Amino acid sequence: MNDYPPVVAKIANDYLERVKAYLRLVPARERDEFLKEIESHLYEAYHQTPVDDEVARILTVLRNFGDPAEVVAGRLPGTMMRSGAKRNLPLYVVGGIFIALFGIPLGFGGLSVLVGLLLALAGMVAAFYATAGAILFAGAMFTLFGLARILLPGLFDRLVELGFIQVGGPVGEFLDHFSPSDQGIFMLLAAAALVTIGLGMLWLGRYIFRGLRFLSGLLFDWTRRLAHRIRRKLGRESRGAPGRVGQVSFANGK
Amino acid sequence: MEYPEDGRDRRIAQLRKGILELAVMGVLYHGRHYGYSLIRVLSERGSIPLKEGTVYPILARLDRDGLVGSEWVESVQGPPRKYYVLTSSGRQLFDELSQELDALVSLVQQNWKTSDQPGSAAKKLVVRKG
Repeated sequence: MNDYPPVVAKIANDYLERVKAYLRLVPARERDEFLKEIESHLYEAYHQTPVDDEVARILTVLRNFGDPAEVVAGRLPGTMMRSGAKRNLPLYVVGGIFIALFGIPLGFGGLSVLVGLLLALAGMVAAFYATAGAILFAGAMFTLFGLARILLPGLFDRLVELGFIQVGGPVGEFLDHFSPSDQGIFMLLAAAALVTIGLGMLWLGRYIFRGLRFLSGLLFDWTRRLAHRIRRKLGRESRGAPGRVGQVSFANGK
Repeated sequence: MEYPEDGRDRRIAQLRKGILELAVMGVLYHGRHYGYSLIRVLSERGSIPLKEGTVYPILARLDRDGLVGSEWVESVQGPPRKYYVLTSSGRQLFDELSQELDALVSLVQQNWKTSDQPGSAAKKLVVRKG
């Protein structure tokens, strides 16, 4: 059907699945036609987008196309439209009471796992940026010390005597073989390396952040779909008519 | 003067929502298009940031209301494309809506300070309504 590379096909199909999940109450024929049209758009946009990297290209296409929830907002049946004017506050209150009465005994284990995973992901991102920041800070300090060692060797020696700067161990022994200006150059080289690593981490962070955002979106979507399947299954079992409820609800959805 | 950021965004979105449907009809008024080509025309001629996916629900609504006709056409490369064309009733509605838009735009752009009397604008509105 298309000539996407496998990873691009996976991303595009996953996006279409998310749109499909949102459109579950739209009649099947209309929904399939809508999805087919989006698929056609994504294919054409992918081939017209001038970005070299395949993954970046499909992500650009999907970003330009919009979030699935945003895309389907105008396509859902009128009764499904979410608008501020139609929010029924008492219903939310009753829902809250039901959750408090039955939700807690039944357990919020799944929700806890989800929140835990998201917190872990957020922690990883925070740790990554903290590390990048620490490396950049170390680079800045090395620059200062390197310049001080070259331009103000007396001050540097005084700071070492006072204990503000401590260079010991093999590094100290190694540096002792060189003149103060050479030591300063070594420090500046180390500073350049640290700053490069720090900036590289910040640059990589962009992609990591994007990937994590994508993963968390997937996680939310899978959880929601799983909950939906479980609800439907429970509903079928309670009604004792397996396999027919979905069809009836679709027919009535129009 | 300060105002809520989300309130401004919501109002801009509402404003665009109505105009976008008219813009889509305007493009189709002058030729047959499929979704992607229509979006390209809108993007090239307008400077409004547009989420491309929002055009398809509009096309679906216009199709459902009989204001556009559509047909699937096989593409030389890739999936088939759904082409849209404005129907005669769509053309007629577009003409009427364009006139309404012109009236609204002129109302918004009117220089109120030069009006003769404070109530003159309100009088004009009443006349238009009739």
